[in-house]
Amino acid sequence: MKQIHIAEQPWLGLGRTVRITADGIRYRLFRASVTVAVIAVAVAFLMNVLGESLIKRAVAKDTRERIAQIRLVYDWSARLTNPGSVESVLSDLAACQPGTERFREMQGLGGFTDARMTAFHQDACQGLRYIAFFGDLDYAKRRSAIHTARGIGIFERLRSEAGMKDFRTAMAQIKSVRFVTSFEDLEQFLGRTPQLLAEAQTVLDGRRAAIAQIGTVLAGRPVLEALADVDGAFGDVARKAGFILDTATEAGIVADQAKRLLDVIRLEKTMDSEKCRQLLAQQGNVMPADVNVMMMWKYLDSSRFSTRYLDRMQESGLATDGLSPERLVSLAEARKENTDLLRAEMLTLDAGRGFMGLGERLAWLLFVSMLVCGIGICNAMLMTVTERFTEIATLKCLGALDGFIMLMFVLESSILGIVGGCIGAVLGALIALGRMLVAFGIHFIGAMPATEILIGMAASVAMGMLLAAVAAVLPSYQAARLAPMEAMRIE
Amino acid sequence: MSADNTMDANREPTGTAPAAAAAAAESPAATTGKGGRVIIRTVGLKKSYLMKDVVTEALRGVDVEVITGEFISVMGPSGSGKSTFFNMIGALDSPTTGRVFIDEVDVAQLTAEELAYLRCHKIGYIFQSYNLIKYMTALENVTTPMAFGGVMPDEARERGMELLDIVGLKDRWHHRPIEMSGGQQQRVAIARSLANRPSVLLCDEPTANLDLRTGQEILDILQRLNTNQNVTIICATHDHRMMDICHRLMWIRDGQIERLARRDQVQIEVGSIGGETE
Repeated sequence: MKQIHIAEQPWLGLGRTVRITADGIRYRLFRASVTVAVIAVAVAFLMNVLGESLIKRAVAKDTRERIAQIRLVYDWSARLTNPGSVESVLSDLAACQPGTERFREMQGLGGFTDARMTAFHQDACQGLRYIAFFGDLDYAKRRSAIHTARGIGIFERLRSEAGMKDFRTAMAQIKSVRFVTSFEDLEQFLGRTPQLLAEAQTVLDGRRAAIAQIGTVLAGRPVLEALADVDGAFGDVARKAGFILDTATEAGIVADQAKRLLDVIRLEKTMDSEKCRQLLAQQGNVMPADVNVMMMWKYLDSSRFSTRYLDRMQESGLATDGLSPERLVSLAEARKENTDLLRAEMLTLDAGRGFMGLGERLAWLLFVSMLVCGIGICNAMLMTVTERFTEIATLKCLGALDGFIMLMFVLESSILGIVGGCIGAVLGALIALGRMLVAFGIHFIGAMPATEILIGMAASVAMGMLLAAVAAVLPSYQAARLAPMEAMRIE
Repeated sequence: MSADNTMDANREPTGTAPAAAAAAAESPAATTGKGGRVIIRTVGLKKSYLMKDVVTEALRGVDVEVITGEFISVMGPSGSGKSTFFNMIGALDSPTTGRVFIDEVDVAQLTAEELAYLRCHKIGYIFQSYNLIKYMTALENVTTPMAFGGVMPDEARERGMELLDIVGLKDRWHHRPIEMSGGQQQRVAIARSLANRPSVLLCDEPTANLDLRTGQEILDILQRLNTNQNVTIICATHDHRMMDICHRLMWIRDGQIERLARRDQVQIEVGSIGGETE
């Protein structure tokens, strides 16, 4: 009898498999769309959370930069009036990079050489690190390590023999905390602390002298008024006293801000004027007694009202020199922007912490939602497999390999995952953008991290696909294992 | 018709049914008159299922040989083990003991991939409920087994149209199963079963879901295939008309072959088997 050769069944090409799968999905479009909806919702949630955290992070960075800008005038008025303490000198120095204006200013005020200043800066940084380390300890550990010492007092305590002994035994006992440097480094540093503190004192004295010099020029005038002139004569005074002020940019900004602050103060004083209050009360349809500054800023938004308001101010005999309707509108807008900035700063305080900058709770919530979605997809695919028992068995009778059946179902789920992922990513990104714009205000539209959001969307789609594919493994395996004789069964 | 020619030449005097079955089973080649080799052979085929601690014996020793070009009808009441027998010879299930040879290949020795190859190339299945893939057109249904078998798409398409032409559905190649009547669906299923030129067609009650007229069409097609293209057909059925076109009849009862006889032998005593077939 002739022996017949039996070969191994070849694999069907991926292209054909995808086409058969896609045809299958098209045929059961309704069921597929329900599965897609499940994936879309989960991915939308993922993308929303991801997008919001990305936006928050970008806004936080943007806000910090802008707030530093709007606070320049406050910064300068403090610097020109308040010398601070030894500790604040150290922290100021540690905060600035070598070569910056602040750095050079301190060098000038202390009268140090370059080499000495560099050593001073390094020591200040190291000291700040130690202070920060002890500051982060909880009360009990801190107390056992350095008793009640705080700030630069820590160095003093550690320099005493008993203090160092306490510290070493405490550090040996506290296993969970590692000291920031080696003990040798600490001891060497402690040896240098008298010099460090003396140098800080020198800088402090220099500051005091400079402030005294400026005080004589001010002669009782508020420093804010003087700062309005900082790009002019007063700037020269400050520079002569030893403060470094970059004329081209910083001084201009500071002067503008000082002028604006003065105008704001002037406008807020109009609350004392009866006539101004009446106008506001009319506009807001409230009693004159209920009028407040917030209302004033709200209505000054329009130039028509600003014109009327200026007239009232003149009627009340208030000085309006330098004020124009446009100026009032711009002041109101700047104020609104600043309010938005401050709110944004508050809202983004927690940005960038925890897993992917999401925070512990949200990360956990996200994990659970992904799990639920995965189980949902798994269930849907199990239903599909059960529904298609006959079809699967028939395909096996026609010569389909187990691998083909498995691939078919994993592919089906993946395709649904991609479709659902795309819908979800777009939806989630839109919701995130909308929500964040409402929360932070329209001023932040430029701060939206477009590239990062796009990458996040791509990642979300990939995540949706992966989730769907993984969730489909079990149902697919069940389908692949199905006996072909099921095809004989009659429904 | 070839069966008519052989009837006189091979007439054997037969007695009671079991004796006749034994005699016919030993010389299957006599039935078609074309000669040919053994395409399916079972040796001591037994199958038992374990259900809740009770062993059910679906098949208790079936020995049968089918040769190429033969048309066999398998009859038996439900629960007789007919379906189990079909699953065995279709390489869809493995026997508890005994062996199945398809084209002289022991099915039990094959790996999963080789089994898939066997199902794809050696056997064509026709089901009672057609089992067309719902989301494929008639042509796609017919070409799917070819795709599994590694035939190039263009070639598969060409052959698929030929096959649809054979079953008279060439002009409906782009219709989906839902747009076709039961008879048309079954014709597509027949075309699909022929896709890879199988050695044997296994039909599981192909006319049971059809009315008399369309059932007759299916029977005509099967007969034509058997006569013109020498396709081996094994057909489980309750349909009386099948007896008119097949070469041999096989009755299964309680997991055993109750009777195996050539059609001419059955014709003589048609009165007595009438009650049994339905």
